[in-house]
Amino acid sequence: MSINISHLTKKYGAFAAVDDLSIEIPSGTIFGLLGPNGAGKTTTFKCMLDLARTTSGRVTYDGKPLAPALFEGIAYVPERSVLYDWMNVAEHVEMNRRSFKRFKPARALELLDTFGIDLRKRTRSLSKGMKTAVAVAIAFAREADVLVLDEPTSGLDPVNQRHVLNLTINEAARGCTVIFSSHQIGQVERTAERIAVIDRGRLVLEGAVDDLKADRKIVEAVFPDEKYSLDGLAGDRRIARVDRSGRIVRLMVLDGAPEFAHRLESAGGAGVRIVDLNLEDIFLYAVAPASANTDVVEGS
Amino acid sequence: MLTVDTRSGVPIYQQIVEQVKRSTALGVLQSGEQLPTVKQLALDLTVNPNTVARAYRDLERDGVIETAPGRGSFVKSDGATAPARLAANDVTRAAVEGAVREAKAMGLTRNDLRAVIDTVLNRWFPEEK
Repeated sequence: MSINISHLTKKYGAFAAVDDLSIEIPSGTIFGLLGPNGAGKTTTFKCMLDLARTTSGRVTYDGKPLAPALFEGIAYVPERSVLYDWMNVAEHVEMNRRSFKRFKPARALELLDTFGIDLRKRTRSLSKGMKTAVAVAIAFAREADVLVLDEPTSGLDPVNQRHVLNLTINEAARGCTVIFSSHQIGQVERTAERIAVIDRGRLVLEGAVDDLKADRKIVEAVFPDEKYSLDGLAGDRRIARVDRSGRIVRLMVLDGAPEFAHRLESAGGAGVRIVDLNLEDIFLYAVAPASANTDVVEGS
Repeated sequence: MLTVDTRSGVPIYQQIVEQVKRSTALGVLQSGEQLPTVKQLALDLTVNPNTVARAYRDLERDGVIETAPGRGSFVKSDGATAPARLAANDVTRAAVEGAVREAKAMGLTRNDLRAVIDTVLNRWFPEEK
């Protein structure tokens, strides 16, 4: 099921938690939503699920707005678990069996076992990570068409984090559309085919993970003195930002790194090198405020 | 056999391509040997299946592997050593490319570099001096 988020805005008073956000998520793909704390990721999820009233814009599933008929096929793992303290784990499984026709109790029990969770435990006595694991196991037994996962690995040990990621890959492989947020950028890079970075409610970067890494580079050069000119590069839209520090220039380019390396050499630069960026670097550049020595040429 | 490093700036599919080529060149992967399915390798490495599929497509394009629909992907077996040799060339070219770029950035001239390379070649191929 494809998801289309179109010009989504959510205001709390004058404050826009989500500001004109548009994202397209093709059916059967894993989409990673990244952003600093308070960027609007959770609010976006809540608006997608009608858990918060949208100020303007719309979210559609296969072109249709969210309606009760779709609830069965959409599973949500919120950032803070919504388990009932007084119930044990087995009772949560039972509650979901009664609520959702497609829910597979045997699958839930199998997943809970994988995570090493005791079914008789009251959820009150579970650690934060174990609560996450219970919520994930139950959601993944829903046979959902859409999975919305808000920090689905938070508090889990590395082995169980891997379990969650591999389960997510499996879900997508059977056709489920997954959107998830995480501060563990390495995990997003492994599992998501596309990502969006939001900052202060606004989309600052969107694309295929492999393309972003293959195209975005830092091109660095050292000039003999500080009296160099980069006029030849002015206005090139492929340059996202220019950092100058004395004789050193670092260009962050969106594409065409070898060409820029060549042009910096022609301009008299020495020690020209192209630096690869990992997704964390790309994320940090996308949300970093420009310093006094920085010319942000383009918003992305 | 393969690993993925997300701290690296190299896209994951390219990391897989490079490692399969290297394994082929070193004979760790032999002609005719079967590679894991896309889904299996995706789960082994915990990466998106499309990333693995893209790596396999690139390896096919570069003549290192071939895919038989329904049977899986195999290291190419025609001419036995051809894919290994091809892979070795690719791996080596990438390494030399990096070294030459670095040398140029530090101000070595073409002749300086030629002298360095000759010294290295003489050391590793003394019999062909």
